[in-house]
Amino acid sequence: MRKRLYNRLAWDGIGKNWKLYFPYILSCVLTIAMYYMIKSLALNDGVQAMRGGDSVVLLLGLGSWVVMIFAVIFLFYTNSFLMKRRKKEFGLYNVLGMEKRHLCRVVFLETMYIALISLGLGLLAGVALGKLMFLLLTRALGGEATLGFHLSGEAIVSTLGLFAGIFFLILLNSLRQVRKTAPIELLKAESYGEREPKAKWLLALLGALCLEAGYVISQAVDDPLGAMFWFFVAVVLVIIGTYLLFTAGSIALLKLLQKNRRYYYKARHFVSVSGMMYRMKQNAVGLANICILATMVLVMISATASLVAGAEQAVRLRYPYDLANDGTDEYTAAWLSQKTAEAAAQGAVVTEEVSYSYLAMYVLRQEDVLVTRAVDGSPGGVAYTEGIAYFITLEDYNRLTGESRTLAEDEILLYVSKVDYDQDTLTIFDRTYTVADRVDSFLGNGKVMAYIYPSYCVVVRDEAQLSYLEENSIYDLAMFWGANLDADDETKIQIYQALRQAASEEEGYFGSLECQAWERDELVSIYNGFFFLGVFLSVLFMIAAILVIYYKQISEGYEDRRRFEIMQQVGMSRLEVKRAIRSQVLTVFFLPLAMAGVHELFAMSIILQFMDVLMLASHSIYYITAAVSFALFAGVYAMVYALTARTYYRIVSPNAAVNNIAA
Amino acid sequence: MIDLIDISRVYQIGAEKVYALNKASLHIDQGEFVSIIGPSGSGKSTLMNIIGCLDMADSGTYLLDDTPIEDYTENELAAIRNQKIGFVFQSFNLINKLTAEENVELPLIYQGVGKAERRQRVQEALERVDLAQRAKHLPNELSGGQQQRVAIARAIATRPSLILGDEPTGNLDSKTTGEIMKIFHELHQQGNTIVLITHDDDIARQASRVVHILDGKLSEVKI
Repeated sequence: MRKRLYNRLAWDGIGKNWKLYFPYILSCVLTIAMYYMIKSLALNDGVQAMRGGDSVVLLLGLGSWVVMIFAVIFLFYTNSFLMKRRKKEFGLYNVLGMEKRHLCRVVFLETMYIALISLGLGLLAGVALGKLMFLLLTRALGGEATLGFHLSGEAIVSTLGLFAGIFFLILLNSLRQVRKTAPIELLKAESYGEREPKAKWLLALLGALCLEAGYVISQAVDDPLGAMFWFFVAVVLVIIGTYLLFTAGSIALLKLLQKNRRYYYKARHFVSVSGMMYRMKQNAVGLANICILATMVLVMISATASLVAGAEQAVRLRYPYDLANDGTDEYTAAWLSQKTAEAAAQGAVVTEEVSYSYLAMYVLRQEDVLVTRAVDGSPGGVAYTEGIAYFITLEDYNRLTGESRTLAEDEILLYVSKVDYDQDTLTIFDRTYTVADRVDSFLGNGKVMAYIYPSYCVVVRDEAQLSYLEENSIYDLAMFWGANLDADDETKIQIYQALRQAASEEEGYFGSLECQAWERDELVSIYNGFFFLGVFLSVLFMIAAILVIYYKQISEGYEDRRRFEIMQQVGMSRLEVKRAIRSQVLTVFFLPLAMAGVHELFAMSIILQFMDVLMLASHSIYYITAAVSFALFAGVYAMVYALTARTYYRIVSPNAAVNNIAA
Repeated sequence: MIDLIDISRVYQIGAEKVYALNKASLHIDQGEFVSIIGPSGSGKSTLMNIIGCLDMADSGTYLLDDTPIEDYTENELAAIRNQKIGFVFQSFNLINKLTAEENVELPLIYQGVGKAERRQRVQEALERVDLAQRAKHLPNELSGGQQQRVAIARAIATRPSLILGDEPTGNLDSKTTGEIMKIFHELHQQGNTIVLITHDDDIARQASRVVHILDGKLSEVKI
């Protein structure tokens, strides 16, 4: 009988607090479903088998880690919030004579029921939506989806294991909170007034400094390789800065306004400044959470969307010719030329064909000197490299570009990618060249684009110069061969595969053949995989942000109900009160969005460094996607506000109405 | 039935030690109606918490039904509160999500009272405070006086040996206060022991015995 009693109390606890528990259970269900989906996709053989599947599976694997870490933090945080809200209830039970262990038992049952419901519904939703996700992903990767029901046992086990663990942690935390509650606190709480928060100047200052440091770092980083590390540092600084500014900074700012007598002692400002102070005290952490989640969504969506949007451009830059063989020799170039003509005769036209010799070497740049390993050992001893230098002759350059430039014996044309090169001269071995002119691109050689290190592309006057460099270095002259075809992608890929087949049987063949159409599929798959993951995680973070917003509205609603009454009692009109509260709520609500926008703006520079590594073709694509994603996000955010505001007003107004009648 | 002997309770505020109760002694017999009166900060609430087994004294002895409270564990104290003490608070402390009936039923559920008997006792308690017709209403659908009557019904449903009121009329207007006090008188006449804590002299004088508390010290007042 007793057992039934606790069961009833547990169900009542959930049912009677439905307004709090429904969104919590819903987010548990969604988080579980999303974890199952990403895990089952990562383990799916079908995905693995697709073009670019390997990279996508790797990405999904990383993604499932992100979801996991997120789920632990997020569900734990949400549950703590719920338990705090129910403290008074538990205190009262305790005063009325319920023992702590019975309370614990009720909490245990509640947690268990929530876990069972969430896992059941979550897995169900995961399996149902997982199929849809699979279809979407296959589409994104350009593969053919097989219809049919798929259930991943491994993913189910992994999901069950993970979330059983999370719910266990949540249970421990809840039990701790119940143990902590002293019945006497409940009674005392009534007699305490709300204290005006104190300004913590030092923390506010620290927050501003952290934020500034994070911003400065993200602006200053100029090296795509170091970017990863510095990005991480900047992110941590900005997160700390955001929390501190929202918690301490906001209050400090309001205190400053309060000290400004001419500003503060005006009816409108007086109410809104002091009102904001309590509001920030209550909501600062929640707002900082929203701000950070919003920033993550914005950055992820704009970065991955711009990759997808720029994919075609990136392919054209990396693989400028339909067919190309870089690092080959003259024999192979001639062989390729002939074979391509033969293959093309069966349905394609060779519209363009190029070949040129070049010398490539790994170099370390010191001021205007390129140090490289020389034949005789000097200056030698380059332990690591900082870039690649390409050398071609002016003759080839003029032939390929259709220009007719001239160079003196010691003059060069120079193109440097990824870094700024502001020297007027360039020294290699014992020769110092004067930079006659800068050119703004290098002859269709996609490796310059793809290489994450800087490339120094040098046009020298003639064969003699090139030979001199070759003789002194440990590297040999190589050839680039490329051809464009007039045919559809399928034919191009057929020709490419036929050529590869022939090459494997040709003894004198040297180098590796690339095909734009073939690589396009691969690259587009990877970018779409990124985008898929970006959208997937964004949805998850959005759910979290929405939940935080919802709870913020609820807790503010209860607080405001009392303020609403008090302000009316001291003689403000209903309309004035409503206006004051409304403007405060709006400010508080859109503050995180504005801050997230600023974060995104400052993150741009460092993110573009990454994007360069990932071969984002043009920065303007990123600017556009960033702006579009911000607009979209702001729209969704405003919609969520409108929806949750209804709950808020429902909490605030009915009582106000009752109060009015009573008064 | 209640014996407080040299009870002290000290709070440390900063470097200062404040005696909320300073060697306070009080004896209350079965069936008495005692009011404890004193200004804010006099130690009223501390006394009430100790009598209600919500707080422990730092020194001295508290015998409830001849048993020293210090001997009990926290869980046993919860059971004692449940069985022996009926609380009535200034701010009612009803659970907003439960109906009047369910609020009254709650402590009975903890006691393990059977369903049929529970129903009967809830009915009786609500009738006694004249609220049987509002049994299905939620607290926020009731007026302040009605809410306090529900709280009284909750306190008496467990048939406690002591009813402990902490400023039970503090939030009510004078008419409603009269109604609530009438209920307390009726309960007293039916043989219940009642302790009311208040800062209102008019309320205090209605009891058969008035105890003053000032700066943590008690003194009896003859009426």
